[in-house]
Amino acid sequence: MDLRKKILIVDDDADFTESLSAFLEAKGFHTLKARDGGEGLKIARLQRPDLIIMDVVMNERTEGFFTVQQLRRVPELQATPIFVLSSIYSTHPEFQISPDSGWLAHDEFLSKPPDMNDLLGRIRRHLAPKEATA
Amino acid sequence: MTAETPSELIIVIDDDYAMRLSCRKILSKSGFRVEDFEDGAEALNAISRLKPALVLVDLKMPGIGGLEVITRLHEIDPQIISIVITGYATIDTAVEAMKSGAYDFLPKPFSPEELRIIVNRGLERRRLALESHRHEIERALLTRRFVTFVSHQLQTPLVAIHQYLDVLKHLGDSADVAAKRNEWLDRCLRRTEDMQKLIKDWLTLSSVESGAYARRHDRVELSGIISTILQSYETMAALDGIQLESKAPAGPCAVFGDANCVSVVLDNLITNAIKYNKPGGRVTVTAEPANGEIAISVADTGIGIPEESRPFLFEEFFRVKQEAAQQKAGTGLGLAICKKIVSEMGGTIDVQSQPGTGSTFRVRLPAWREQPASEVVLVNGLAQEDSDRGR
Repeated sequence: MDLRKKILIVDDDADFTESLSAFLEAKGFHTLKARDGGEGLKIARLQRPDLIIMDVVMNERTEGFFTVQQLRRVPELQATPIFVLSSIYSTHPEFQISPDSGWLAHDEFLSKPPDMNDLLGRIRRHLAPKEATA
Repeated sequence: MTAETPSELIIVIDDDYAMRLSCRKILSKSGFRVEDFEDGAEALNAISRLKPALVLVDLKMPGIGGLEVITRLHEIDPQIISIVITGYATIDTAVEAMKSGAYDFLPKPFSPEELRIIVNRGLERRRLALESHRHEIERALLTRRFVTFVSHQLQTPLVAIHQYLDVLKHLGDSADVAAKRNEWLDRCLRRTEDMQKLIKDWLTLSSVESGAYARRHDRVELSGIISTILQSYETMAALDGIQLESKAPAGPCAVFGDANCVSVVLDNLITNAIKYNKPGGRVTVTAEPANGEIAISVADTGIGIPEESRPFLFEEFFRVKQEAAQQKAGTGLGLAICKKIVSEMGGTIDVQSQPGTGSTFRVRLPAWREQPASEVVLVNGLAQEDSDRGR
């Protein structure tokens, strides 16, 4: 059985997903890929990832935000950490959401491209407590 | 905003009880909601909560005077209309008040009719101001959305390239990543090429928009342009087994305009026809005279365009939302450029399409005509006419 932690990457840019996934696999994670919000939701329901990395702008709208809300309505996914990644909205004042506000309670908001060491550190921090209680 | 018209809130601030009462009566009868205050400070405290459309202020009051009330009122909400109520002796101060932002003044004593007229005029002014303010906001929003969109289009490939390089830097030594190195570098190159194409298209589009593009009015022979373009794409088409054919008439077939523009349009249409074709498909380019115009068509046997996408096809950055189309690299600007150029040249462009079977883009441009002597006069002036007659 695969004991690696599962990370779902939801992003419409196949190149971004490819390199991020290779990086995370090299760091000992198992990655799943989805090209848009709908596919992300489907895979998340079926595969129950331990963490989700979500792009914001997909299909010419801020689909990532909608998908995060939909994911939060799935009872089993309510506490799954979601990292919201965006090249535009992380620096856009209107979209700065404090990490402890409402539906983004378990989430991180990162700029894109992410600093790989920083990203890795955050992923490990989010996934560590679960390992301790398991 | 619909609730605003019948029951806008009006606030009356006056230390004179009789005055407050009569204003209240008159304005209520006209269907306004009215609140009144004896004291300026008290009224100012309530402004943000009550959100009045208009405020009537007595100039001479104990405590905060009318002038200061108006200044502070506009600090809270610059869209509130304020009208000064004043006795004859203080006209000078009323003028001062208007300088500080009051809309108008109403000298005491006044008739109910005078009050209603001035209030309605003030409210009308406010509605106009609000409307133009809304338009300004809408325009700013559109511009900002567009800027955001373009920066996203440019940022996306940069992010992908950065990410590849960054991961290669971090993990270049690991066997898994090293095996992918060449493929990743190729992908980086392709993304930079896409970006260059986007910037090039973007510049073309803006130069067409500024009128700097379709400048020349020459005789443009189509058969040469068409065969040159078809030749240049033969190799690319052959990769997918796509046949390119030209059905230009044997005789001359020329349009009136700018050769470079015609090339850009046909180049865009022909590359699309190859790109969105099926393996083993065909691209047919036809040009023929039609009622003083030349009708050029570029037909493919490709994936076609869904009906719901067709109205937006020529808009900037529009791309057809179907899997087969989105897999192909594209800036979403090619057809927008075609449309702009064609209309600059006084022509039209449209599309007919059958999803799954193919699409035909048709361009109609003004045909070249040898100008009769009378028109030469108009174009080139009298001297030309004389020399023509001398021949």
